[in-house]
Amino acid sequence: MEKIISIKNLNYTYPDSKKPAINNLTVDIYKNEWLSIVGKNGSGKSTLTKLIDGLIDADSGTIEIDGQEINENNIWEVRTKIGIVFQNPDHQFVGATVEDDVAFGLENQGMPREQMVKEVDHALELVGMHDFKKRDPQTLSGGQKQRVAIAGVLATKPRIIIMDESTSMLDPEGRRTVLNLIQNLRQQQDLTIISITHDISETELSQRIVVLSDGQIVRDDIPKNIYNIGTNLSKFGLEEPFSDELISTLRDSLELPEGYLNEEELMKQLWKLRSNM
Amino acid sequence: MEITFEHVTHSYDANSPMANLGLDDVSLKIDDKKFTAIVGQTGSGKSTLVRHINALLKPTSGKLTVGDRVITSETNNKNLKPLRKKVGMVFQFPESQLFEETVEKDIMFGPMNFGFSESDAKDAAHEMIELVGLSKDYLQKSPFDLSGGQMRRVAIAGVLASNPETIILDEPTAGLDPVGRHEIMDLFKNLQSKGRTIILITHNMDDVANYADEMAVMSQGKLVASGLPSDVFNNQDLLKNDLLTLPQSAQFAQSLAQKYFQFNKLPITIDELSAEIKQQVNGD
Repeated sequence: MEKIISIKNLNYTYPDSKKPAINNLTVDIYKNEWLSIVGKNGSGKSTLTKLIDGLIDADSGTIEIDGQEINENNIWEVRTKIGIVFQNPDHQFVGATVEDDVAFGLENQGMPREQMVKEVDHALELVGMHDFKKRDPQTLSGGQKQRVAIAGVLATKPRIIIMDESTSMLDPEGRRTVLNLIQNLRQQQDLTIISITHDISETELSQRIVVLSDGQIVRDDIPKNIYNIGTNLSKFGLEEPFSDELISTLRDSLELPEGYLNEEELMKQLWKLRSNM
Repeated sequence: MEITFEHVTHSYDANSPMANLGLDDVSLKIDDKKFTAIVGQTGSGKSTLVRHINALLKPTSGKLTVGDRVITSETNNKNLKPLRKKVGMVFQFPESQLFEETVEKDIMFGPMNFGFSESDAKDAAHEMIELVGLSKDYLQKSPFDLSGGQMRRVAIAGVLASNPETIILDEPTAGLDPVGRHEIMDLFKNLQSKGRTIILITHNMDDVANYADEMAVMSQGKLVASGLPSDVFNNQDLLKNDLLTLPQSAQFAQSLAQKYFQFNKLPITIDELSAEIKQQVNGD
């Protein structure tokens, strides 16, 4: 697998703080991977995003993006490879219409108008919001707003999309739409997705989960193995998956296999127990 | 405080041809000292509904009664302070409303605005900061140096500091991690046990099942159901029409019922679900 981001011995402490926000962190992220970074509020997730996007400078350590180590001279160029979708859709809109908004990032790049119109249309097609292009963004639902925000990011043709808690404000329907959309885009557009969340149910579509605590990586594994941590997940500010929580209330009187079962596996076990009666 | 909506309609831009109904003939009683959850899709009228309770919005027609206060389209903006002191409102993303140079001053702002002396407001700030799970060390910090979750707690402390009888929460835990969410929800439940009325807008059906005594479901400005969560989550019409999603336990029970299991009433909490499963497997 080819690396797209390589972070080595990264350290960052906020100016008036004694505790490091990122503490000697090393991680590789691979092309076309969906990586979830999870951890409680204050674990360093957002700080790490800011460092990757060059919004703040590390105290020490290196970040390599697509083969280039970030420094003062190339940060603007490197940053064009990364698109970020933020948490609150209402804070991301600058245009009076959906299409103006998506065009904003391209205008900044100085793209000729004709090409821009094409790119905007294409990006809105990709997120299924083309019919809304003349609408005022404020009249859209939360999920629709986030899809427009994703279109704005896609239009700039990034290699990496960072989803910074970008579904935490959405209702369940909006959340599902956005997560499925991201999955499709990752496959079609050969994107790398980094999603930052504390909601374990949002990590199911990812291939790898990194758990952050006090600015350090405390776990780095496939989802199944992370979910297997069970109640101890709460130490990291995460919720135990529903099936695991249910199993722990059943074990005292039902015989169930050891280890983590997802909901489907648990259901099969329960059907088996019930049919044996 | 008991709160009663009687045929309340609220029209945004009432005089324009674009008028749209934020609330459409809503009648609802919210009981004193209960924990009531209000659910519904984005844009269903939940926020419009609760903004009437402290008269941030007024009915276009109909009336509501909040304790001994009656609010109609005629209610004027004078003299609303006593009402707003009694009804504290925590908006969505309340951290965006922090503005003072220290956390202490930010929490004191509300109480002083409602006539607390400076020393009483200070006492309230010292009490509330710990109640929301932050140490007193935070009082002298700038609110803008805090993490999102900490800012949220400061903003909640600011509303609680005026000691409101009724507390309205518009998605107070959106964006908080699960541990933080449970702490905040437990805090509200605890405030209820001390005699407050809690009204919670949320998308999280597990929080409704675990914390609320009553719930109301909104859709397109209308109240489409209200009652006990265990009844409302078993209302097949709502589920069929996608007006409501189920708590995880009820969803699991529904899937489990594809084979061998049968639920006369869907369990809505893990404890209920677990008891049902054991009973059906062991037959005791």
